[in-house]
Amino acid sequence: MDGNEAGAGTAGMIARSQSKARILRLAVAVGIAGVFLAPFVYLLLGSLAKNFNLAGTLDLANYSFTLANYSSLFTQAGLYRPLINSIIVALIVTLGNVLFCTLCGYVLARRRFKGKNLVMLSVVMVLMIPTHVVIIPMYLLTNWLGIFDSYLALILPFLVTPLGVFLMRQYISTLPADMEESARLEGASEWTIVWKIVMPLCKPALAVLSVQVFLVNWNSFIYPFILTSSESMRTLPVALALLQGYQSINIPQLFAASMISALPTTILFIVFSRRITEGIISGALKG
Amino acid sequence: MRGVSTGRFRGSDLLMLSPWLATLLLFWLFPVAASLVLSFTDYQLLSGQGGFVGFDNFTALFSDQTFVRAVINTLLFTVGTLPFTIAFAILLAIFVNRNLPFKTFFQSVYFFPSIVSLVVVALIYSTLYARGGYIQMILGMLGIPYPAEGFLFSEATALPAIMAMDVWMSTGYYMLLFVAALQSIPQELYDAAALEGAGAWHRLKAITLPHLKPMLLFVLVLNTIKSFQIFVEVFVMTKGGPLNSTMTIVYFVYEEGLHKFNIGYGAAAANILFILIAIIAWMEMKLVQERQA
Repeated sequence: MDGNEAGAGTAGMIARSQSKARILRLAVAVGIAGVFLAPFVYLLLGSLAKNFNLAGTLDLANYSFTLANYSSLFTQAGLYRPLINSIIVALIVTLGNVLFCTLCGYVLARRRFKGKNLVMLSVVMVLMIPTHVVIIPMYLLTNWLGIFDSYLALILPFLVTPLGVFLMRQYISTLPADMEESARLEGASEWTIVWKIVMPLCKPALAVLSVQVFLVNWNSFIYPFILTSSESMRTLPVALALLQGYQSINIPQLFAASMISALPTTILFIVFSRRITEGIISGALKG
Repeated sequence: MRGVSTGRFRGSDLLMLSPWLATLLLFWLFPVAASLVLSFTDYQLLSGQGGFVGFDNFTALFSDQTFVRAVINTLLFTVGTLPFTIAFAILLAIFVNRNLPFKTFFQSVYFFPSIVSLVVVALIYSTLYARGGYIQMILGMLGIPYPAEGFLFSEATALPAIMAMDVWMSTGYYMLLFVAALQSIPQELYDAAALEGAGAWHRLKAITLPHLKPMLLFVLVLNTIKSFQIFVEVFVMTKGGPLNSTMTIVYFVYEEGLHKFNIGYGAAAANILFILIAIIAWMEMKLVQERQA
């Protein structure tokens, strides 16, 4: 009896101290979240602010909302074209990766041929190449190919990514091959097999891949920056970085432009949060 | 039959592989090779003239004050951010992973800064760091001294300011990788240790940290490769200034090669960066592997 009561007492104490620890942990977690989110709250409020004070800080005492910063971006600052460019480029690059990485992944997962290990090795080695190291030859190459300052320069080099080939090969090798075999016996071509059988089974991997590729491409700065020169070919990050040096731009406008650039990624993030984290984790564990 | 090759190479296979093969040759191998060749020339884009000059570019680089500064700054940036980013990422991963309520939510929030465009983050911080900006306000309230002209306009604080932003931005990304590694540690190990009466500190030292080693190596190498290539932050926030105090190697490559069009000279600088990254990554692998043995 005594022992039981004592046991219940300690259990109660443990439970109470556990719930206390839980609340403390929660408070710490919220505090850390504040550190990571505060700059974005500042960005959002700034983009909707009627005026910043002269020092460049948000005037919270006299804060009033306005959408004028957003509308003037398209009329004054010419952000319309960069926005369209970013959308076109990111969508085509994502689509290209979905298609081409599946094809390559399929061959690398299913076939045995001379030089296959070499191709696999090339994928892994290229993943390790620091991309900023080759900005000069990439600039020259697009000039020589005659695609400098065009959509092709923004799209072609990124249409097939090594990470995509790698992920798709890994994923397809875990799929059973018997459906492909029976389709083949029925006379289906290899293209039909990939399109009708492999692609649908790859949906989870393709979702991870497309979110990943879209995000990276949407945010990409250095290549769109060096591979284009005219204003009409700028993507959103490039336009944004160059707007800053522009005299007539004010901070609320700059913040509104930043919001427009950050919005699609934020929406993607909220909707596909799990896919994004999965993509990063699987890329890390397998890579 | 899982994962079995269903046969020999077919004609269609080459066509299916060709997108990668073309990308590999044209946009990866060719630029690397071209960069190597160009670095031994004095090719000038504007005049279109140039010939082989041997190691002249490299010897010139080592006596170029701006380049030496760029190398030092890049090393400082890497050495000054890596330990903090990785330590914070591990601590945060352990914190998130220990049955924290709303774990997935908090994990996503901490990770959020790394999915926003670097340009946007750099723009936000430019105003936060500015004269009269919020960071000065906070430091003023705490009584901590700060440069009056703004953090990005002072030679002493410009680089550390960019470094602090980088740690803030990338911690959540690496946290996610460490969470993945933590989840692969079997729970039985902790249960057994708890039965033997091992304390939290001991469990951390004996179980958690050793199991994080492979991921630690991966993160170390990945973060090194990324840190050595810092460019966007510098372009948006300081343009290498004030007085070259934030000049980094990639920014130098950009300025020499694509701004002044000294192609050969810029390519040589890029190749030094390439070699530097390879050496450091290799050293890190050796270091962690030896510790493991």
